[in-house]
Amino acid sequence: MTSSNRISFTGQRLLDRRGFLGNSASALGSIAFSSLLANDNLLAATDPIHPLIDPAHPYAPRPPHFSPKAKNVLVIFCAGAVSQLETWDWKPELVKWDDKPLPGGPAVTFQGPAGNLARPQYAFKPRGQTGKMVSEMIPHLAELTDDIAFVHSLTSKTNTHGPAENFLSTGSIFDGFPSIGAWVTYALGSENQDLPAFVSILDPRGIPQASSNNWNPGFLPAEFQGTTLSAKDPVRHLAPPGGVSPAADRAARDLLAQLNEHHLAQHPEDNSLAARIASYELAARMQLSMPALNDLSTESAATLKAYGADDESNPTKAAFARNCILARRLIEKGVRFVQLFNGAYASGGVLNWDGHTKLKEQYDVHAAVLDQPAAALIKDLKQRGLLADTLVVWCTEFGRMPFFQKGAKGRDHNPDGFTCWLNGAGVKPGVSHGATDDLGVKAVENTHSLYDFNATILHLLGLDHTRLSFRHNGFERRLTDVHGHVINEILS
Amino acid sequence: MSCRLAIVAIICLHGVAARAAAPDFVHDIRPLLEKHCYACHAGEQAKSGVRLDLKAGAFKGGDGWGPAIVAGDANESPLVQFARGDDPDLRMPPNDSDLPPLAEHEVAILVAWINAGAIWPDGIDTATVVDKTDHWAFKPVQRPAVPAVHATAWPHNDIDRFILARLEAEGLQPSPPADRRAWLRRATLDLTGLPPTPDEVEHFVTDSSPGAHEDVIKRLLASPHYGERYAQHWLDVVRYADTHGYEVNTERPNAWPYRDYCVAAFNADLPYDQFIREQIAGADQGKEASTGFLVTAAVLLPGQIGKDEASMRAARQDALNDIIVNTSDTVLGLTVGCARCHDHKFDPITARDYYALQAFFAGVDYGERMLMTPESFVLRKEHDAAQTRITEIDRELPRYQPLARAGHTRPAVTPQFNTDRIAPVSARRLRFTIDTNTLEPCLDELEVFDGEGRNVALATAGTKSSSSGNLVTAGRHELEHVNDGQYGNGRSWMAATRHDSWVMLEFPAPVAIERIMWGRDRTGKFKDRTPTAYRIEVSAGTDENDAWTLVADSTDRLPFGTKENDPLAGLSAEDRATVTALEKEKAAAQARVKAATRDMRVFAGSFKEPHPVHLLNRGDAEQRKGQVPPESIATFASVVSPVRLPDDAPEAERRQALAAWLTDPAHPLPARVMVNRIWQWHFGVGLVDTPNDLGRNGSTPSHPELLDWLASEFVASGWSVKQMHRLIMGSATYQQASAGNPAGLEHDAGCRLLWRFPPRRLEAEAIRDTILAVSGRLNLAMGGRGFDLFKSRGGLAGFTPIETFDEAGRRRMIYAHKVRMERDAVFGGFDCPDAGQSTARRRQSTTPLQALNLFNSSFTLEESRAFAARIEAEAGQESAAATDGDSVRWQIDRAFELALSRSPDAVEASAVEAVVGEHGLATLCRVIFNSNEFVFVP
Repeated sequence: MTSSNRISFTGQRLLDRRGFLGNSASALGSIAFSSLLANDNLLAATDPIHPLIDPAHPYAPRPPHFSPKAKNVLVIFCAGAVSQLETWDWKPELVKWDDKPLPGGPAVTFQGPAGNLARPQYAFKPRGQTGKMVSEMIPHLAELTDDIAFVHSLTSKTNTHGPAENFLSTGSIFDGFPSIGAWVTYALGSENQDLPAFVSILDPRGIPQASSNNWNPGFLPAEFQGTTLSAKDPVRHLAPPGGVSPAADRAARDLLAQLNEHHLAQHPEDNSLAARIASYELAARMQLSMPALNDLSTESAATLKAYGADDESNPTKAAFARNCILARRLIEKGVRFVQLFNGAYASGGVLNWDGHTKLKEQYDVHAAVLDQPAAALIKDLKQRGLLADTLVVWCTEFGRMPFFQKGAKGRDHNPDGFTCWLNGAGVKPGVSHGATDDLGVKAVENTHSLYDFNATILHLLGLDHTRLSFRHNGFERRLTDVHGHVINEILS
Repeated sequence: MSCRLAIVAIICLHGVAARAAAPDFVHDIRPLLEKHCYACHAGEQAKSGVRLDLKAGAFKGGDGWGPAIVAGDANESPLVQFARGDDPDLRMPPNDSDLPPLAEHEVAILVAWINAGAIWPDGIDTATVVDKTDHWAFKPVQRPAVPAVHATAWPHNDIDRFILARLEAEGLQPSPPADRRAWLRRATLDLTGLPPTPDEVEHFVTDSSPGAHEDVIKRLLASPHYGERYAQHWLDVVRYADTHGYEVNTERPNAWPYRDYCVAAFNADLPYDQFIREQIAGADQGKEASTGFLVTAAVLLPGQIGKDEASMRAARQDALNDIIVNTSDTVLGLTVGCARCHDHKFDPITARDYYALQAFFAGVDYGERMLMTPESFVLRKEHDAAQTRITEIDRELPRYQPLARAGHTRPAVTPQFNTDRIAPVSARRLRFTIDTNTLEPCLDELEVFDGEGRNVALATAGTKSSSSGNLVTAGRHELEHVNDGQYGNGRSWMAATRHDSWVMLEFPAPVAIERIMWGRDRTGKFKDRTPTAYRIEVSAGTDENDAWTLVADSTDRLPFGTKENDPLAGLSAEDRATVTALEKEKAAAQARVKAATRDMRVFAGSFKEPHPVHLLNRGDAEQRKGQVPPESIATFASVVSPVRLPDDAPEAERRQALAAWLTDPAHPLPARVMVNRIWQWHFGVGLVDTPNDLGRNGSTPSHPELLDWLASEFVASGWSVKQMHRLIMGSATYQQASAGNPAGLEHDAGCRLLWRFPPRRLEAEAIRDTILAVSGRLNLAMGGRGFDLFKSRGGLAGFTPIETFDEAGRRRMIYAHKVRMERDAVFGGFDCPDAGQSTARRRQSTTPLQALNLFNSSFTLEESRAFAARIEAEAGQESAAATDGDSVRWQIDRAFELALSRSPDAVEASAVEAVVGEHGLATLCRVIFNSNEFVFVP
């Protein structure tokens, strides 16, 4: 990207603002316009950028800071901290060191005393053209490695799940900061005006550990909150409860519009009134378009089978597979940011990837849920040509230790070296970037914090993470705080 | 590249001794720095605190690496190390920036310059250092002269003169007064968060007395609902919630007394300085809840913090940070939290100031404390009485246990709980040997009682435990758990072997024992690993040669797993009846103890011996620097008497000293911050629109003189918040109509100059409360434990919303049990704060989900029906509504009056009448609850 490119996009932003303001009441528009220019110093190259939100059309598409590689994002979020050692980060040395103490290793980690090193609990095989070694635990996802850019050297700031999921999703370990989906929709709006711009699909087993922090707007306007739904639980309040006839419902809607218009006519200058009227119109469109999303009867038997949505022997897998189909439909319809959760809350590793005591036994169960449906989803996106515009992110809040916990057959939390990956639009296919040491204790080569990972996601969307900003309580707040560098090595 | 630089470069490349022709700073070095570094390392916001545009900055260095330039030693100078890319990951400029890296010859110039002594002449820097202390809000409040105005008839009070002078200077006119209905609705919603009743409207509209407005303000300020409304504003700022937050989000059951304390404080017009002092230093007996302020934040519970020392230190720092941030944001309007990792980039607050502030709070912990209210004293008596009775019953019950080894059959072992009664025997040691289980056996607690019913096994009684071996899961299965007085698998001992394992207790002195009680898991969750075959032996001495005597074992018990196990096997019918009655009584007493224990406590911080506080490099608890004593922020020393306490100052004294400093009338910030908040709560936006930041990075006030005038008035009034309300609401400014006009919109669309009253949407709580008030179903009971919005009050599995509310659930929303991070399913979407971070000012967003929630929720529909039923019931009693047509019109009128404080106009009436005729009154009520007019402050 050159700086002239940047200026031209700033110019584009300006034009867009003129366009938007030209459509609003002219007097109001010109004042707003001049005060915006004064506040924003649009032409300074390092100043914060606050996207201009038209209150009546908060999800209208907004231009990025520079030419984007990806238009929308699918995040596959594996809650509970997936072990890198059982999945993507092959450590043959660990086989040799199996059941031996880690020389100089910590006596106590997150949950308690450390035991001996433990070999990867699954066999690894070379995959595809790259020959990348990936675990047998996830045979379907493993088939995709030629398209994936792995980052094996990520670090988190905490070894506690909740704060770590906060960090992954919001760039802060604390509660109350905006999630990445909120940031992205705040910046870019959405391509679809009949559906929410940011959708979070919850795992059939329950909510992830940091719960709504993963999709909350924090201090961003509430418009940018993720809407939670799943294949089995549609959006709340889409329709009135029983007892309201369709005719009465329609009459109520019409009367409301009439009364609001009548009121607006007496306060013609008031934007927020017009915005509220518009919000009821958008709600009405959502009411029409949302129910069809959850109707899978239009999917072919072959599709259902490919995703595993017809797997009666494994209802959790089938439910997750239906969520995967829902995710594809949302991406297809231009929803800007889709978060697909795999794994739920703290449960001794029963409902998520938190394998402290019986890792292999539990991962056999979890892998069966994740693997085929998620792989089918990515293949389906690719086959439909959607990966040209869609960035797929696979992530988890931290990794796991190469040793077992004392007296247990599972691994403790490890925030010092773990793997997440990108796939799709703008991503260099088949690369493995960064590395942990030979035993997988910590990242040693091309180390990246999750700030870098999030900066990279924003970059692919055409957003400069150092400038996408919101002023709150005296701070210019950013997803990446004051940190973050784009990981250029994994970009195409 | 300049010609001269090129020549120098060539000289360097050719290896000509750099010393001979040392590069010149102005001609050679500064251009290099400009080109490669200044994008980030110049100006006030220089990254990592490294400024290369100032001599002092370059030689001082930034947050992490010491001086950037070591004169005479290029290899030791971080500037060179970074520019050269000694560590490729740390190369400067960063690889992913647009800035070009330094070419080899450029590095060579830098090296030559530094090795030649890094001569940077004084007085040639083009940049200047900004004096961070030179800022309006850090200067003492000076009561400004009230400005003269042209339109002398308009002002009601001095506030108006400040506003009008500015409007006149800008060529703007104030708006005409709002009509009386609008003003009353505005004032009532503003002060109480509830709408005026039609009677109140009628009374005010017809009250032509000159003091009518003042009378209303007086009435509203005397209403207890005022405190509910303004406490909510305060709780937003301090991010109050009834759960602990983070992933476990457990209930914080006793936080609510702090919420009630705030309601009462506003209602009583507690002087603001006292309000602050009480929240930080503590209040009189009976008001312990005041210090709930210190611990409103989310906090990690012990189980969520890593067992390694570094995790614990980091968690403690985070917990303290939340106290500092809350105090400085809320009281000072200053972002002191920024100085945790480095000196504040904008304000004159150093990292040392931050840790000196932390030292005031070093003895504060997140926890509960006993309340000292009359109610709690009653509870304590109840608690003690119930506890005494439990002890008595516990002493009584064993009498009805069959003796062990007495020739009869005893009940089978149960996983939960077993008693072995024995003939009294003197013991110094007791050994519990477990013969077998298919897994390593587990005991959650081993209790041994003397004749008085005292558990002599407790470690706290001096008894020591040992064992044949332990299978440890730290924090869960440990030897010390066997006699720690705590039950459950999470506090249990697990043997290392499956066979012949034992645990032994050694009492501090010989003791006559007569009962042993034990279980695998008293909470009943775990049933595996139960010691099914066991022996209990005692020994009179502690020598390994002292003999062991068997006192009880499992041989006379029914076999483990016996289907119809009789826990009272071996007892007579009469004894059985007695046991049953006693156990029932005990369960009731335990329930009373549990409830009383909960209700006599408050989550308001617990205080302990302060730990030493150190300055931490980059905020990292593992990088300690020197110890820091409690000390007020240094920069204010010239305006407020500074406070400095010794390192070992007692805990309470620290908070008292800080509270006194924060409420010193000479302090330039607290009064300005609070009057600005009050202004914002009335007008939607403060005179400073960054209410938590009056520092240099905050906004400048729209009316600086007015802010100072209000601040001085506030202090002079004895910090009376209600006096501020009277002043502001009595003003002509507040009384203006909210309608726009072209001149005002053209000049000041944001209405910061207040040429009209700025209209705004009601907050989530006020919408819910107003719906209930209008439907006639609002439960006005004040205070106490919060009602539920969700089916659970805390926990990690998520929160299912309650759809239909009973009477308790129809209380004002401030009394909802506030689950952190989980917004109410209907009203949360109306920008309800999540209590994660401070919400100094609520946003006003407009979302389709708000529309869906308000239009389609069961809450709205049920209240619409209730509203309709209310009107219909009233209509039934109205003689005016004699005929059918009249009745419908009367009902429509009444609906508008109750909900909107006015009658419908002709256009509305005809539109509405048709719909009501066809679909009923409830349909209209649903529409009104959704209408713009209903949810906006006029």
